[in-house]
Amino acid sequence: MKRSTWIAGIIVLVFLLLWQGMVWLFKLPPYLLPAPSLVVLTLVTNASMYASATLVTLGEALAGLLLGLLASVLIASLLSLRPALEEGVMTLAILVKSTPLVAIAPLLTLWFGFGILPKILITSLVTFFPLLVNLLTGLQRVDRALIDLFKSWNASRWEIYSNLRLPSSLPFLFAGLKISAPLALIGAVVGEWTGASNGLGRIMWLAYSNLNLPYLFAPILILSLAGMLVFRFLIWIEKKCIFWQAISMDE
Amino acid sequence: MNRFLRVTLLLIVLLTACQPAKTTPVPSVTPVSTETAVPTAAPMKMTFMAGYKPQADLPFVGVYVAQEKGFFAAENLQVAIEHSQGQGAHLQLTASGKVQVTTQDAAVLLQRRADPSLPLVSFALIGQRGQQAYAALESSGIKTPKDWEGRIVGYKGTPPPDMFAMLKQAGADPAKIDLVNVGFDPRLLSEGKVDIYPVFKSNEPYLLQSWGYKLVLWDPADFGVPTLGLAYVTSDDTLKQNPEMLTRFLRASLKGIQYASQNPDEAINIVMKYAGPETDPKLMRYMLDAEMKDLVIDTGHANLPGWQTKAQWQALADMLQQNGAIKPVDVDQVITTKILEAVYGK
Repeated sequence: MKRSTWIAGIIVLVFLLLWQGMVWLFKLPPYLLPAPSLVVLTLVTNASMYASATLVTLGEALAGLLLGLLASVLIASLLSLRPALEEGVMTLAILVKSTPLVAIAPLLTLWFGFGILPKILITSLVTFFPLLVNLLTGLQRVDRALIDLFKSWNASRWEIYSNLRLPSSLPFLFAGLKISAPLALIGAVVGEWTGASNGLGRIMWLAYSNLNLPYLFAPILILSLAGMLVFRFLIWIEKKCIFWQAISMDE
Repeated sequence: MNRFLRVTLLLIVLLTACQPAKTTPVPSVTPVSTETAVPTAAPMKMTFMAGYKPQADLPFVGVYVAQEKGFFAAENLQVAIEHSQGQGAHLQLTASGKVQVTTQDAAVLLQRRADPSLPLVSFALIGQRGQQAYAALESSGIKTPKDWEGRIVGYKGTPPPDMFAMLKQAGADPAKIDLVNVGFDPRLLSEGKVDIYPVFKSNEPYLLQSWGYKLVLWDPADFGVPTLGLAYVTSDDTLKQNPEMLTRFLRASLKGIQYASQNPDEAINIVMKYAGPETDPKLMRYMLDAEMKDLVIDTGHANLPGWQTKAQWQALADMLQQNGAIKPVDVDQVITTKILEAVYGK
């Protein structure tokens, strides 16, 4: 294992020990702050419930992220090919981003029903803006000299886009993904807070309203783990795709 | 396509395809109804949205039991059960027709009818007394509302008119209390952040007592303040277009409540199917018992569960108006006894 992984592991372990120690030292009741040992116990005793809920939430997060990605690629590409539209479209995008979820969620339920679709839509709404901004920057911020070179070869707008802008935007895309992937997890959970029949968000909502904190913290543990794994997965993919650039600091 | 991409695609397909079935229980089999429900009937479908999370609130219990024991099926009524976060989405969805029946606290229903004129109407009143009370720790020494003066008092949402009415009755000066907005968090009381905390009689007192605290409780109804509890609510449109569906729903749900009153343990088991392991069945039982007490109060209509009168709603509306909580509202628009009459054959 790499040295950095060891260090990460130790940091997390120390944090958990401090938490456990604090609960024991101050005799904190579980309804104020449960000890990590209690949280893990709760997780383990309800493993199948948490497992099925995690699958649901991860599925929503992934579907929402892909939808957000698709939307941002389409819109960013459109804007890079037709720059005149940029200001208008970005204004709309900011409007969408600024609308609080509490206002949107009942509308989504009204139009799309009580199933999983509204949760996926909420997640995609949450993820698409950072992706859009990053992609747009990536598509636009190409070395002027390279564009001139392509133009000197009589390249069409489409050829410049597909052979120059798109590959150059990949680092920016991955930067956007590193922001949006964890957001997708939050988005899925928040989408479930507004009403769901399954998923980690639903468990967290029920647990909190019952002030059953061990049941509330267990999904938080799962989500942190999932977030970490997703992040590492993205870094790994990025290395494969953008082989021409150094990614992390210690390369 | 290289191996790595194939693996990634497979993962994506697996995760998006793996959606476990909804946990919403399905109605159980062959109902054996000993009553003669209206034979006939074209099958009907509807959606019920509980006004809060799955728990043993009496109107919810009636629906859960009716579903599980086949009372809805006996009425040839297919009911999909949903739950609301409690912030009002259920009212919007009912007003727009996406949901046919929901539950709501009587005072809030009056407020929503007054502003923003939501076209909602109560067709049965399950809680004949209000759900809210105020609690203080016994150790604080606070004994009467007069003792509240100079203390920190929490309220949920907006400053509650029933509290002001109670203080007036008790001869206390509302100006002398320190009002703070709190959410659902009885720990504020146990940790001493507020002196008096607004509780749902059927909920927080149990939690606080289970944590080892003794409480003093004040119910505004005990001070002569008119309060009402939860009602089954529908929209003006649904009432006009489908009273038959509402009648079937109410008949089955009332039967569910009656069953629960006679078989509380079984009723709680049913509730737990809709809640989950994070919910405490003892709290659920406490909730059920507490709300059963307010199901029927002798107001002169022969103890018919669910019945409501203009007089009791008007008294509540008047109290709310006197305390500045609502604009004038026409109570005749807010309640109907049409469905109750159909169910009870009156």
